[in-house]
Amino acid sequence: MNRLFWKIFLSFWISLVLFAGISLLAASLFLEHMRGQDEMESPRDRHISYIEEAQFIAENDGIDGLKSWLRKLDHREAIPFLLLDEHGKDLLERPVSPHLTERLNRKQRSSRHMEGGRSPRHRDLIQLPKGGEYRLVPDFQAVTLNRVLRRPRVIAIPVIVAAIVSGLVCFFLAGYLTRPIRRLSRATHQFAAGDLDLRIASTMGGRRDEIADLARDFDHMAERLQALIGAQKQLLSDVSHELRSPLARLQVALGLARQREQHQANVELDRIEREADRLNELIGQLLSLARLESGTQLSHSGPVDLAALLAEIAESTDFEARAANRQVRIIDSAPATIDANETLLRSALENVIRNGAKYTDENTSVEISLQHDPEHTGWLLIQVRDHGPGVPNDMLTKLFEPFVRVGDARDRKSGGYGLGLAIAERAICLHGGEISASNEPDGGLTVSIRLPLDQTK
Amino acid sequence: MNRILLADDDVELCGMLKQYLEVEGFQVGMAHDGEATLNQAQTGDYDLIVLDVMMPLLNGFDVLRELRKDSLLPVLMLTARGEDVDSIVGLELGADDYLPKPCNPRVLAARIRAILRREQKQTQHGEETAPPETLTLGDLEIQTGSRTVTLNGEPVAMTSTEYSVLKVLLREAGHVVSKAELSERALGRELTRYDRSIDMHLSSLRKKLGSLANGEERIKTVRGVGYQYTHRV
Repeated sequence: MNRLFWKIFLSFWISLVLFAGISLLAASLFLEHMRGQDEMESPRDRHISYIEEAQFIAENDGIDGLKSWLRKLDHREAIPFLLLDEHGKDLLERPVSPHLTERLNRKQRSSRHMEGGRSPRHRDLIQLPKGGEYRLVPDFQAVTLNRVLRRPRVIAIPVIVAAIVSGLVCFFLAGYLTRPIRRLSRATHQFAAGDLDLRIASTMGGRRDEIADLARDFDHMAERLQALIGAQKQLLSDVSHELRSPLARLQVALGLARQREQHQANVELDRIEREADRLNELIGQLLSLARLESGTQLSHSGPVDLAALLAEIAESTDFEARAANRQVRIIDSAPATIDANETLLRSALENVIRNGAKYTDENTSVEISLQHDPEHTGWLLIQVRDHGPGVPNDMLTKLFEPFVRVGDARDRKSGGYGLGLAIAERAICLHGGEISASNEPDGGLTVSIRLPLDQTK
Repeated sequence: MNRILLADDDVELCGMLKQYLEVEGFQVGMAHDGEATLNQAQTGDYDLIVLDVMMPLLNGFDVLRELRKDSLLPVLMLTARGEDVDSIVGLELGADDYLPKPCNPRVLAARIRAILRREQKQTQHGEETAPPETLTLGDLEIQTGSRTVTLNGEPVAMTSTEYSVLKVLLREAGHVVSKAELSERALGRELTRYDRSIDMHLSSLRKKLGSLANGEERIKTVRGVGYQYTHRV
């Protein structure tokens, strides 16, 4: 049975029934109260008592008193009571319908026929002390729905009852429904931000409905994800340890061999050392790529001064590049601080810049610029341009895939693009940014990185 | 002869490294878990520990934390490459240097020598070379004779590396010292790729010394250039 379904269904249903019931009850109580007060049981009795009232007022307050009394009565009564003079005109100058005039004339004629008999109809005559007489006549045909609804007591009571009853029911229902959903959505955000220990079923109190089920499902999912992520992390660190232990021994063995060999096999040993270093680097890159794809690192973020970070990376890469007759320079920089994981961002930028330094021609430099993106406000644009051979146009988008090879001999010699740009791409994506590459018309490759200033996007 | 304690749970690797370092002229002891490392380190038989992070019983960080409670024995940490967080933690706990593992044994030997040279230069400073002097700047005082640092008259415990870095910065107070220069003068080695040890030592120094009395930063980072000890002329 869908319990939340029944909660919503029943609360709307009951509130409507309650509304109808209470307004009916209130209306009948009100009417009874009025009857009890005035001993009026039917319009006819009311008519008689109004006549007495009118006569009393006419004797005491005269015509003006009568007018104001009549106005109040008209406001209160659903049936219009007209006070007609001998010419058939209303005291308040309300229109008198021809039906009514005709009926009155008929009555007058018939009362004349009953000569001498004191017809009860004569009792509707109200005589003013200064002379002149009026008849108080109910115009039943003029009772319209519109007129009924316009009487404040008739309309106000049900409206107030409806507002209070439905207001209370809806207020509690809305709160009851949305509070746990808000908690769930907060929990989802926190979980996505890396708080894998979060569980929420216990915060649902005694609920036993779909939302409580959802909370339990969330917990199951969180449990499973945490286990998976934990297993992956464990695997990564196992792999890291297991692959690196033999590498570490290999390197020491190499050192021992060098100590013994006394320069006899230096070329071969150099080769072994280079390959071991490369293997080591690849393992490191694979691990950081795998860590990035699991995507949980962004939780360690804080304000990062991008201009300073770039300057620092440029300094250290320039230091290395100069050894190979190449340079790394910052040609344009703007102050910019964003919320980011500095380690990730550093490795992304370092990989892109180092890649540029690897491919730029001898005696040229890698040029870095940092500016507020002129085409998209709220975004930063970092461009890294080298003066190398560039890459074929159809390879531009594939550059950020792991182990892509552009396919010429130079590339095989240098070992390809490897994982550096793939790592950069994942790290930039994790920060909500994007990375792309383009060839410069006068030769060389430009890698553009766009980062949103506002990380909440 | 310098005595080195190799602390690593990889017995084979330790054996090979011992062989290598002995040829390089060191006397080498070994420990394969955290507790043994700590026990041996506290005997005072060693001049330096090469400490691996991943070890059974107590890991490298725990050993370092425990050791630093009463000893400034130089420590070179071996961390898995790419685990930046590890190296940051290690250096802030007071490691003198760190090397990503696997590492070239030649580099390891060079780093060990650099730390020992620094250590010896400082302990022998008064006897052999320049006369002991006192560097004072504001609330900070360094006595090169006894190698002590006092802040507002209170002594501050420092590893020899932190001391060296601080001394260089203090001598150049008011001037910017580049990371490469700091690395050469204070660590006794060239700055290398992915090398963040200077930054880590600086962060540790800042933590120990706090900011200046007027709230100003004591040691400033100059964007892309280096570091500067704040000094008003």
